[in-house]
Amino acid sequence: MEESGVISGYVESLAGKLAFDRSLARCVRQEVEDHLREAVAAGPEGNALEAERRAVANFGDPEAIAAQFALLSLARQSRKAGVAVVLVIGGVFFAMKARIAWFALTQWVLSEEARAVSAYVVAIDRYAFWLSAVVGLAAWVTISRRRAPAALHPSYRGQLRRFFLLCAIAAGGLLASVICDGVLSAIRLVETELSADFLVPVFSMAIEVACAAVLVFHIRCVARRMASTAALARTAHFG
Amino acid sequence: MPAMEGEMLKGHLDMIVLAALSAGPAHGYAVIEQIKRRSGQAFDLPEGTVYPALHRLEQAGFLAGRWTTAENGRRRRVYTLTKRGSRALADQRAVWKQFSDAIGGLLGGTRPWKNPA
Repeated sequence: MEESGVISGYVESLAGKLAFDRSLARCVRQEVEDHLREAVAAGPEGNALEAERRAVANFGDPEAIAAQFALLSLARQSRKAGVAVVLVIGGVFFAMKARIAWFALTQWVLSEEARAVSAYVVAIDRYAFWLSAVVGLAAWVTISRRRAPAALHPSYRGQLRRFFLLCAIAAGGLLASVICDGVLSAIRLVETELSADFLVPVFSMAIEVACAAVLVFHIRCVARRMASTAALARTAHFG
Repeated sequence: MPAMEGEMLKGHLDMIVLAALSAGPAHGYAVIEQIKRRSGQAFDLPEGTVYPALHRLEQAGFLAGRWTTAENGRRRRVYTLTKRGSRALADQRAVWKQFSDAIGGLLGGTRPWKNPA
């Protein structure tokens, strides 16, 4: 039977609505196309255009189907972000501890003046980090055991909003902590001549900055998927 | 028999899909055919709604999905019920049986429902 292009158009439209999650869009495109082609092949012989139209009509509204897939993508991304929060905070903690251990090992001493300044920064650093750790853990607990629901109902929306808020607070605390660590490291490094001893503090700072960037990236992904899912749900009257 | 409305089925879709896959591994189209056949064509559900349910059940660990190549050369995703999925289906069957007996007792009005608890 000749292809009329109805199926291709439908599949492209569905995948296009899921463009914010490329791997899901690719998977859905292949799976749905396989279904529709099989439905056409199993149907009565006759007009290709009619057969494809019938298969597409039986499959349902692409907006509504895309909205359900978008919700799954959002649930998966949220869980990934929840795990990322915990891993990133752990990564920053170990980088920080490794740097402090290195300073102790190399007997890196601070001048009186630098010590006075760093005392304030250390206090901010400590509070910011532990705030981030506690709130980050709460964010992970909020989302880790939540199964993806069949619809974007108000209780799930509320849970996602709480999760997002907790992630944002954890990220804010972590960024403040990383900035403080940067300031503390800079205070120590500017007082010393350039040497191979710099490698560990610089490398550990790079790890902290990378960890913070990973967390911001995950939170941004969740925010974008929340927006895309809400937009699809509105147009499909789903939820 | 009149076809059941989509809204009526939505809350039970996961159980329906798990039950269809209890017969053995299948791809989406075969799952839908299985549902139609075993329900005596009673379910009037847009076929496309089954796919998000398959993905959702896979995310929950109730199904395992893998890509295969069909005879016609097309890529095809085949789903298998996992042990966790089988357990979930058994639980849902028990709950459904209890519910069905209770509703049957109410609507039929012939024999009172006996709570096993």
